[in-house]
Amino acid sequence: MANMREIRNRIKGIQDIMKITNAMYLISSSKLKKARKTLLATEPYFVKLQETIHDILFYAPHMHEIFFERREEIPEEDRKIGYLVITADKGLAGSYNHNVIKAAENEMAKHSSKNTMLFVVGQVGRQYFLRKGVTVDCEFLYTAQNPTMYRAREISETILQLFQTRQLDDVYLIYTKMVTPIKSEPVCTKILPLERRKFERRKAGALHAKFEPSPEVVMDRLVPNYLKGLIFGCMVESFSSEQNDRMIAMEAATKSAKEMLHDLDLMYNRARQGAITQEITEVAAGAKALKKQKKS
Amino acid sequence: MAKTFLLEIIASDRVFFTGQCESLIFPGMDGEHGILANHERTVTCIDAGELKYKIDGEWFYAAVSDGYAEVSGDHVVIIADTVEKPEEIDVKRAEEAKIRAEERLRQKQSIMEYYHTQVALNKAMNRLKVNQRHLK
Repeated sequence: MANMREIRNRIKGIQDIMKITNAMYLISSSKLKKARKTLLATEPYFVKLQETIHDILFYAPHMHEIFFERREEIPEEDRKIGYLVITADKGLAGSYNHNVIKAAENEMAKHSSKNTMLFVVGQVGRQYFLRKGVTVDCEFLYTAQNPTMYRAREISETILQLFQTRQLDDVYLIYTKMVTPIKSEPVCTKILPLERRKFERRKAGALHAKFEPSPEVVMDRLVPNYLKGLIFGCMVESFSSEQNDRMIAMEAATKSAKEMLHDLDLMYNRARQGAITQEITEVAAGAKALKKQKKS
Repeated sequence: MAKTFLLEIIASDRVFFTGQCESLIFPGMDGEHGILANHERTVTCIDAGELKYKIDGEWFYAAVSDGYAEVSGDHVVIIADTVEKPEEIDVKRAEEAKIRAEERLRQKQSIMEYYHTQVALNKAMNRLKVNQRHLK
């Protein structure tokens, strides 16, 4: 049986860590409240944005726009593929970072191309991929905390610029979607080039919509705007999932710390009782021996 | 009563307005666009400016920033970064933003920065304009 001092040290250690996990739980739950509020406010925008772009691409006439270039002449292994991965700035968020990183790695494994370029939002993913030796854009430094429209615009501009100058041929976005308040999962979507849905329209027999002043001009403005909104929505959703996962992880940690403390408490009491019993036996034995000595 | 259509105005941080409306005027890239019910299916962009819509004969105004509009017969969706009512505009903040942008325009900048500043200046001036026109 472990001795009393060892157990006491252990209990103290666990209590200290529990204080931290509990504090982190409180912090992340208050942050989550804020993040949820923005998520709820942004959700209609995010949903509508995707719906309308879906519609617009459905009704768009044929045009030569760089955003639609599929660049099929470039063979699979030479394609320059960019991944925009949204991770957290800090760890200790349960499996949040792990899931996103794993999704990104799976996605990268699907393509035979070696020209991949990663754009990572958040420090955890950045450090991970740098250690792994994957090409990460070094100047792409953005925090995942409190997403703003401003940051989303900068990110989308960087990516669009690389796409337009043919430094990227395909761009994927990997982020964490909040399915329900207790469940989140990583999602990967292709953001560039845009898929035109010409064939579906022909089948439906729908006519082109009018683009004012001209389809090209509208698309030139609309696509950056759409991308900015999309990235903003994804960042908001990821941030909310991150806080949620962290809250759950910290709650679990606090709970298991409490269980451990309970067990250790029992063990400590047993050890203490054992020590007392032993002392009594020793004293009693000593007294008996003394008595025997006097008699003889 | 005039024929109405469903209008949805959605900003990045909230749903600004949804409901039936008789007439809508928004700032496009090449001037103002007016929309009535049964309009042709159209997609167009919105510049920063003043947007107005008519319900039961009464006009409502708002300041919008960049975005786009999808018009299809009896349904119009406007998606913009920000949409604000005249009384919601923070005049002090807009004025500060305007001064900041003007100052930055005097500095040497890259083309990208120049565009950003211009957009910022545009937004600030539009906010001030809409606020002044409808609150005084």
